[in-house]
Amino acid sequence: MPLPAEVLGMLAFTLLAFWGISLWALTRTLRQESRKVEILKHQDRMDTYSPRALADLREWVETNPNDPLADRAREQYNECVDVLTQTDRHFYDWSDTEIEQLERL
Amino acid sequence: MADAPAKTARAEWGTRFGFLMAMIGAMVGAGNIWRFPYVMGDNGGGAFVLAFLVLLFLLAVPGLMAEVALGRYTNKGVIGAFRDVLGPGGMVGLGVIVLLVNIALMSYYSPLIGWTLYYAVHSLLFTFTASGFEAGAFMDTFFANSALMIGLHTIVMGSIAAILILGIRRGVERLVVYAVPALVIALIVMTVRGLTLPGASEGITFMFSVDWGALAASETWIAALGQALFSTGLGWGIALTVGSYLREYDDVPLGGGVFTALGESSIGILAALAIFPIVFAVGVEPDAGAGLAFVSLVQVFPEIPLGGLVAILFFVGFFLATFTSGLLITEVSVTTISEETRLDRTQTVLGVCGGIWLLGIPSAYSADILDFLDFVFGNWGLPLATLAIIGVIGWVLGPKRLRMLAVNRNAGIYVGKWWDPVIKYVIPAVMLFIMGYFAWENFREPEMIAGMLVIVLFPIIGYAIMSVVEGRGGKPGTTEVTGGDD
Repeated sequence: MPLPAEVLGMLAFTLLAFWGISLWALTRTLRQESRKVEILKHQDRMDTYSPRALADLREWVETNPNDPLADRAREQYNECVDVLTQTDRHFYDWSDTEIEQLERL
Repeated sequence: MADAPAKTARAEWGTRFGFLMAMIGAMVGAGNIWRFPYVMGDNGGGAFVLAFLVLLFLLAVPGLMAEVALGRYTNKGVIGAFRDVLGPGGMVGLGVIVLLVNIALMSYYSPLIGWTLYYAVHSLLFTFTASGFEAGAFMDTFFANSALMIGLHTIVMGSIAAILILGIRRGVERLVVYAVPALVIALIVMTVRGLTLPGASEGITFMFSVDWGALAASETWIAALGQALFSTGLGWGIALTVGSYLREYDDVPLGGGVFTALGESSIGILAALAIFPIVFAVGVEPDAGAGLAFVSLVQVFPEIPLGGLVAILFFVGFFLATFTSGLLITEVSVTTISEETRLDRTQTVLGVCGGIWLLGIPSAYSADILDFLDFVFGNWGLPLATLAIIGVIGWVLGPKRLRMLAVNRNAGIYVGKWWDPVIKYVIPAVMLFIMGYFAWENFREPEMIAGMLVIVLFPIIGYAIMSVVEGRGGKPGTTEVTGGDD
């Protein structure tokens, strides 16, 4: 019995949505892992936040200075800034201009 | 870092692949193999897939991100993680709920792993393709043999103990990096075999024909919700425990969230493609649960070319799926008890596995007890554990704090502020709805009464235990985080 087009379409969509996304995520995360290993062979520390995530973190610390976790957040922010300014290889897409504008908290 | 006996040295996953396979190995279990294909075909096929996909992205992906992130943030097992967030005291007993639910879950899951082991061994002996074999009679005889059931339960818990004693990297990781790919390969080979049989297209039509009207039916969404939450193991403490062994620069949201939720569901889809074309090609009625795996499929193998080999692929793969889940479910208790007591890992593994073995004897003795416990803990115990974990993240630690400090740190994808209300409001509301819905559906039934007892007693027991334990001095050096962040 030949399969109706609707069934074939749904089969293709399902495979793409589940296996497609899973394999994309697997490949991406394993490639990122290889890149991290490569960076850590070259230097002992690595940037921990993307530009967007670091901006979020800074904004949160500035708006919640008395939060019980503010010190930890500040420490993580400063650690990332230090690494970005002291190392030449970065995991996330940081431009030189963005790094120059960073300030410790 | 090796799994050193010193308690100060915490183990880590050796590779990124090891962590990912541990997550998939934990979450892919019997439900993916014997439940998902039928539920999918019976609830609108393609419409169910759409509903399931929406709920995966709405609930399971963000929820798993949160749970893995909490484990990674605290670098501790369930109770230690709860103490870090809540501060010492009786409320840490919320972590005990998760622990008790895991122990209860494993007590009846181990006998079930024993079933799959028994059928895997018989597939290797080509029992199912021997002349005069009767699937129904074989299963009835097997289920009536309590001594054999208890023996299999003993072998399973003994094997799990032997692997867990070796530690995270040398035990769990070394097994899952082979077992999970082996399961996938077995299902792919079986799919190819099934799709090349005459009449296989009926199975595909059963699963993937689209009944758009089903999208408007509440049953479709309830079924998809149950599958999205229970199949992904969200909030059972497994993701938290596996995440607590992540390395310094490891990502959480891409691997722990997106890949885990979609990957484990993909294996369910693959199982559907592997099983139903064969079932329909031979003209056997589709079914779910033990009836599908141990009767319908077993009847099918003698009817198809190379059926004996296909039976080996299926049952060995099925055994691997359940065994790796059992391994990680047990690891939840091992990790936290090892941290909370003076016992070393070996002593903890022996104690935990021995305790689970003892508690599992009634379920091994009687499949009715197993069914009863499965219903009670599936409908109320596991949602209660999920509510405890996601509730603590959403309402005490605060999703925004966790997103800033752990989720987006070293992340492979950026997680935006949409995530916060999902963790704080949506998932807890859905868990409360599920528990209420099943209570209403089974009102005054013995299962419902037992479920209510779990909901009431487990928190009381947890609170009492931790009040006594923490009152004796508890764990020093922990910080309480007060209030949510938004």
